[in-house]
Amino acid sequence: MESLHPRVRFLWAGRSAIAGLVLLGLLVAVDRLFVAVPLELAVGGWVALVLVGAVHAVLAHRIWRFALEDDSLFLVRGVVTRTDTSVPYVRVQHVDTTRGPVERTAGLASVVVYTAGSRGADITIPGLRPDRATELRERLRELAGESEATDAV
Amino acid sequence: MRRLHPLSGAVSVGRGLVQGAFFGVIAGTTMVGVLGLPAWTIPLVPLALALLVGGFALARYYRFTYEIEGDTLAVDSGVFARQSREIPLGRIQNVDITQGVVNRLLGLAVVAFETAGGATTEATLDAVDEAEADRLRRLVQRHGETSPESGEAPAEADGESLREDASAPAAGPDTEELFAFDLRDLLTYAVVSVRPAAPVLLLVGLPLGIDILTTVLRYNLGVVGGPPSLSLAVLEAFGPPRLVALALLTLAQFLVAALVLSVALTLVEYYDFRLVREGDDLRYERGLLRRYSGTIPLSKVQTVSIRENVAMRRFGLATLVVETAGYSGGSQESAQGVAIPMAPRADVYALARDIEPFDDFDFERAPTRARRRYAARFAIVAGVVTAVGYAVDTFLLGSGYWWVLGGLFALVPPAAHLRWRHRGVALDDDVLATRSGFWRQTTRVVPYYRVQTVFVGRSPFQRRRDLATVTADTASTSSIFGGAARAYDVDDERAAQLRDTLRERLYTDLLERRRGTGQ
Repeated sequence: MESLHPRVRFLWAGRSAIAGLVLLGLLVAVDRLFVAVPLELAVGGWVALVLVGAVHAVLAHRIWRFALEDDSLFLVRGVVTRTDTSVPYVRVQHVDTTRGPVERTAGLASVVVYTAGSRGADITIPGLRPDRATELRERLRELAGESEATDAV
Repeated sequence: MRRLHPLSGAVSVGRGLVQGAFFGVIAGTTMVGVLGLPAWTIPLVPLALALLVGGFALARYYRFTYEIEGDTLAVDSGVFARQSREIPLGRIQNVDITQGVVNRLLGLAVVAFETAGGATTEATLDAVDEAEADRLRRLVQRHGETSPESGEAPAEADGESLREDASAPAAGPDTEELFAFDLRDLLTYAVVSVRPAAPVLLLVGLPLGIDILTTVLRYNLGVVGGPPSLSLAVLEAFGPPRLVALALLTLAQFLVAALVLSVALTLVEYYDFRLVREGDDLRYERGLLRRYSGTIPLSKVQTVSIRENVAMRRFGLATLVVETAGYSGGSQESAQGVAIPMAPRADVYALARDIEPFDDFDFERAPTRARRRYAARFAIVAGVVTAVGYAVDTFLLGSGYWWVLGGLFALVPPAAHLRWRHRGVALDDDVLATRSGFWRQTTRVVPYYRVQTVFVGRSPFQRRRDLATVTADTASTSSIFGGAARAYDVDDERAAQLRDTLRERLYTDLLERRRGTGQ
């Protein structure tokens, strides 16, 4: 089982901090325009959110695992609800590597695996080094090609 | 290349003219007011806008062409940005034909082609005449029957049992009526399958019928012995018994109205329902005002579900739902989905077996510790309701009867037992079957070779009891809306076993099917 690059923790923690900032901004707007909100409470809430986000990021990284098994891609993830996912190679429609602006700054990349199933786009492996992501994409493509070509749906 | 029916072009041009003129009147009057232009310019703006919008509609009509050539459907559209789309017929999951009231009068029909994947309908022809709609449907249908070498070949394996009675040449598949509703069946169905959404719809619609509402309320006041005028002061003067009587009476009327609405909606939707088999396709027709018809190729069926609510179970009835991977628009109205709204249970199972052969299911129940989990969950709900009731009573009503809500706890054990009893999973030779729901029980049948991704989920509460939920995702439409086949609360080890079995069977069955089709 392979785990994600440790740097992904900062990415996740940063994401929740920014989401918290948006909320904080909203609260400030509410404070200015409608009802007085105690600023200490708002900032305290934000700090709490950032802490929870950081702990969540650390745990999520610790739990996240994936492996290329004989016949399927296997993922383990989820802090609260633990989910194991098996994606049979026959079902892989196409594979993308994506690098968002934030991911690029962090020097990371994601691999997205599409299936014809209703949750196809759910299957994303984040926090990979770019070369590893490319390699994984190539490997998955090969495995998908090798497995018996059949109707997709 | 063919164009849409001229009448439909005329209708959309007419609509464009009216819309343009309407916005023109608004824009014209505001502009004259704001800019201080002379009054005679007012009619010019609507005229110009009407011509613009109408002209655009005309251009769109002329720039929309389609044709089925060989085994592709080609659609060219777009006035400024041109779009050409080619859809291999073998990839079309189903063809839906809709006729609104206006289109029915004009003899036109909207034809929608659904493919797997994609968030919207792949191609919509709005509108062609009925004969043309039929021709297109048949072309797509015939393609599925005569080209087993295409990617979707497994059509053959599926249809074997069906083929025997559909041995006619591909040119004219014989039709066999499987099911039809007469008015009495339809009424029964409408009453038995009450829509849970009806009360909500009624609430939303209430403001429109405010006069009727006040009349009814006044009448109710009279019944319980109050003055025939509405005001909060009157309510305050009432003692709790009369208030409760008033509330119960009003609630009863509301429920009756919701039931009537639900029945009416179902009648309109399923009026003159017919299901026929044409070769390897199922085709249905339904609707009073708007007429829907659609074809479901049996070779593309992803899952088969059998639904029975409490009332239907009591009378031995069931609903059969056949799902493909096409886009359904997320609503019942967009046709695809229901294959048989209601029929005797045995008939429904017979047809389901015809589509995906399976034996009698021997459902495996969750371990009894799952039942304790449900009991705990329901007890929490009962506790919360009681607490809220206590708070409301103490601060608002002051009747001192809040403890009556404690009676909810008596319902916890039977509710937990019923939930546990109605959940199960069965591994048949060829299919996975899952069942859940007491009030509305759904049995989902998923052939192994249709399984896409397998998820095993464990919430914190499940982890405490070593339980897991196994989800077998397919490409069927309803799984997008949470309707995937799920085995709830199976033992952890059993979950891992299930996952491995599903994966193995997926590969072996796919191979088997390929061999079966002689590839």
